[in-house]
Amino acid sequence: MGKYILKRIGYMLAVLVVLSFILFLIYNLVPNNRAYTDAKAEMTTQKTRLRNATAEEKEKMFEDLYVEYQRKYGTDTKNMVVKYLRWVGFMPNYYGEYSGLVQGDFGYSYEFKDDVIDVVKEPMKNTVFINIFATILALGITIPLGIVCAVKKGSKGDQVMQVVTIIGYSLPSFVTAILFVWIFCSLLGWFPPSGMKTPGSNYTGWKWFTDRMYYMALPLITMTFCSLGSMTRYVRASMIDALSLDCIRTARAKGVTEKAVIYSHAWRNALIPIVTLVVGWFLGIFGGSLMFENIFGINGMGKLMISSLRTQDFDVVVLLQLFYVAISLIGNLIIDIVYGLVDPRVRVSA
Amino acid sequence: MKKKNLFSRMCGWVRRAFFGGSRDLANSIDVEEVVTPIQQIIRNFLERRLAVGALCVVIGMFLLVFIGPLFMPRYYDSYTEVTQKNVAPTMSMMKVPSELKNDIKMIDSYGSFSVGLSNAGKVYVWGATQLGTTGIDIGEIPEAVLNDKIAYVAAGIDHIIAISETGKVYGWGSNKHGQYVTTDKEVLEMLEEAEESVSDEEAALLEEAGVSAAEESSTEGEEGAEGEEVAEAAEEAVEEVKEMDKSVSTGENIIPMPTELVTGTIDVANIKKLVCGYQCTAILMNDGKLYIWGNMNAYQNISSFVDKEGLVDIDFTLNYIVGLTEQGTSIFTGKRGLYDQYRSNINTSAKASKKFLNGRKITSIYATNNHLCGLLDDGSLFFAGNFPSDSVPMPKLHDGETIKQIGAGTYHYTALTSEGRVLSWGGSTLGQIDVPDTVNGKTDKVLVGSFQNYAVDANNALVDKWGLKGYLFGTDGYGADILQRIIQGGKMTMTIGAVAVIISTIIGIIVGCLSGYFGGAVDIILMRVAEIFAAIPFLPFALILSAIMAQMDISENEKIFILMAILGILTWTGLARMVRGQVLVARENEYVTAAKAMGVREGRIAFRHILPNIVSIIFVTLTLDFATCMLTESSLSYLGFGVTYPRPTWGNMLNGANNSTIIKNYWWQWVFTSIFLAVTCICINIVGDTLRDVMDPKSDRDK
Repeated sequence: MGKYILKRIGYMLAVLVVLSFILFLIYNLVPNNRAYTDAKAEMTTQKTRLRNATAEEKEKMFEDLYVEYQRKYGTDTKNMVVKYLRWVGFMPNYYGEYSGLVQGDFGYSYEFKDDVIDVVKEPMKNTVFINIFATILALGITIPLGIVCAVKKGSKGDQVMQVVTIIGYSLPSFVTAILFVWIFCSLLGWFPPSGMKTPGSNYTGWKWFTDRMYYMALPLITMTFCSLGSMTRYVRASMIDALSLDCIRTARAKGVTEKAVIYSHAWRNALIPIVTLVVGWFLGIFGGSLMFENIFGINGMGKLMISSLRTQDFDVVVLLQLFYVAISLIGNLIIDIVYGLVDPRVRVSA
Repeated sequence: MKKKNLFSRMCGWVRRAFFGGSRDLANSIDVEEVVTPIQQIIRNFLERRLAVGALCVVIGMFLLVFIGPLFMPRYYDSYTEVTQKNVAPTMSMMKVPSELKNDIKMIDSYGSFSVGLSNAGKVYVWGATQLGTTGIDIGEIPEAVLNDKIAYVAAGIDHIIAISETGKVYGWGSNKHGQYVTTDKEVLEMLEEAEESVSDEEAALLEEAGVSAAEESSTEGEEGAEGEEVAEAAEEAVEEVKEMDKSVSTGENIIPMPTELVTGTIDVANIKKLVCGYQCTAILMNDGKLYIWGNMNAYQNISSFVDKEGLVDIDFTLNYIVGLTEQGTSIFTGKRGLYDQYRSNINTSAKASKKFLNGRKITSIYATNNHLCGLLDDGSLFFAGNFPSDSVPMPKLHDGETIKQIGAGTYHYTALTSEGRVLSWGGSTLGQIDVPDTVNGKTDKVLVGSFQNYAVDANNALVDKWGLKGYLFGTDGYGADILQRIIQGGKMTMTIGAVAVIISTIIGIIVGCLSGYFGGAVDIILMRVAEIFAAIPFLPFALILSAIMAQMDISENEKIFILMAILGILTWTGLARMVRGQVLVARENEYVTAAKAMGVREGRIAFRHILPNIVSIIFVTLTLDFATCMLTESSLSYLGFGVTYPRPTWGNMLNGANNSTIIKNYWWQWVFTSIFLAVTCICINIVGDTLRDVMDPKSDRDK
């Protein structure tokens, strides 16, 4: 088992390297040049000193500054691999300093005038919070629903659920969101349409929590609703497969109660595919919550990413993107490990 | 066995006695018909009503979006129309109330609603009367107006001015920009109610959404020094009125309605013309006195007209007020070089005014939104201003035929000639110049609204009407018809979805087949590549790629193609894995062994022998992926990173619906698009799911 896990981790790191390299290449396509911007900024701060300088001198000075900054940021070479290694922090820059992702230097956000890592902290917290909350809510509803549908397969209720779930997963999430805003905010007036907290308020403790939940309620409801469709279908399908296993027939033949058959025999067998899907889906909603954060004005990673893309704050974008990649890879690793734990055959063949 | 009656039994006996019993025997044995798998699939599919219905809807959508555009030759992407912004779905824009039909005195309109006046002095309003930006329904005519006998009415973009026979001036509708001042309690209450329903914050958002014409016009040209002085004087006047009457809500840059009109009366017999512009109103008296008030931002040369005396005619274009002085030698605008190039028809070349007139006098002027026409004292017409290239020139008059009466709409003119012919020309985008033949010879008067025309006979009864009926799905924030944009947008969305799916399917099939058939090192490498692609978080990655693409200096079409490629390249992994799995299974089949034994090349076996056997599965994935790609494209465009305005897609058409006030007040701007998008995706998914079920021989659908 240990060997298997090591192998998966090694493999994950390899994929991470490849993906981050691809990301880096894309990042370099952007006509955004940190050294150039900083050199320009420095030139303007020294304007008064340079008042008497001729154009040529200015040019010369700018060139020097530009080269200096390029060396500092490690972009004084055309070699992509070297640039990449410096960016990650495995190779020193011109001055022999290591400053890359590994050293914790994630870049600088020009929009927020702050280190990227500080910019990203708060949104990341919010995103993780709503995603975990939405997951718990969604699982709490979909699993029982899926089981009931599978057990009563073909009944009127099941057929209705089939149609409802297909609608649920076909509806674009933003259409659902618009619909919910219309129903719950415009028509019923139950929830605020956007925001994180009552403007100007400074609550603490319990009051803070209730205020927060009041504002988070609609996004959470919408997110949960959007994931109901596909999850219920998955649970139902894998439960149906499990119910047609031979062991279930045997159990029934032995006279085990129907309840025990469903919840102890069948459910355990159905769990394997469901676990995979839950993990995969949990990762999916990190990307999906991007949409909701933008619609409901939640200060999360997705919103930050969109606004950074708009303002071309690419250091932030790359870090967020790396985070999404990392989440997805870790998720895959967890799936692999869980698979290996539950199903010995996987370990052997891998 | 069914019980037969005596007669048929007898027949059976007779038949068997002469022809033998083989036919009856064959009927009684239930022989199972042999069908091909495809036939079986089709049969099973047709048994499911829901899926068949969904398939019909999908086909219908396809036909709509791919054939529909052929029926909209006048459509173009960047179409905007200031006066038709945010119009609610209605087809009643030309629906003259039946009480008015036989007693028409005058009809006027500027934007989305029309106001009519009967000879009995009754006012009627029809069209899209809900003014979205203010929460006011202009169709609610105040009691005082209904009870009074009205002599003149005119409509602006969001207000109506009526003058009673006793000389009282009424106004209703929006007065946010000083369109009118009123002391009428009912109107004030109405305004207050509207104010409450739309809070300040919301109103600001709505204002933003509907790009105000004032902003557009204020960017053009600069004001003369002379004008500024007058403006200052006007501002002082504003202050005065504000103190006096608090019903004017905002004091920014407005010329207030003259106080003698608010509290006193006007000499009705002496009125020459009442005309409303965007948010302005002008009353011209026979003695040349001019009352003018309204939003200064909408008309930059309005200050030249304040206290202007000696005019004989006045009208509004979109950005300028045009007047005619007694001399009749030129058009007065208060600005030099504006509308001083005249032409005899829309498509002929222009000449300087003096040279063109050559001693003739202008007797009256008729202004559309961006050009105007005038009647000369010799009975001929001239045109001035900018004519869009798609304007239809004026038809030739017969010899000796003169223009008897003429009216100007938003972009077109309609005229009645001395021979009784009715002619329409000018802008044709909304069908406003399609004159029906029935009106020729019967018409005594033509009334021209913004995009509507009404022919009236000598008894003041309506002969016929033509022009814009309305919008089935309303209009968006740019004034474009949402139905047309839905059709065009659907074409774009579906094309992108289809091409993306084709790209992803081709990659998926090739990778899957190679990987599954050859196995070993090829398999390992290809599957690792697939896993790398699968590990890419889809939406964020697509976002970053389209954001970078947006910065590149490439044409819009190339951008759209790259978008398709991005979607295709990011979605092939699922199919590749499935194809690989299927190939792995199929590889062990006897026919593959046989093919190998016969010495068929490996590539041929993979693509010609194995692939056809897994085509059904590919087909199902293709269907489901199509819906996914459409959704992804819509999501990207919704966020503003896919296809961008003016090109419509179902995603970016919903772009505006991102705050609750627009969602609530302009519901038609998202409801219809959402329905089209959702219904299409749902139906495609239902078809795909059902296909998967019926293709799977193991699926126990009878259970």
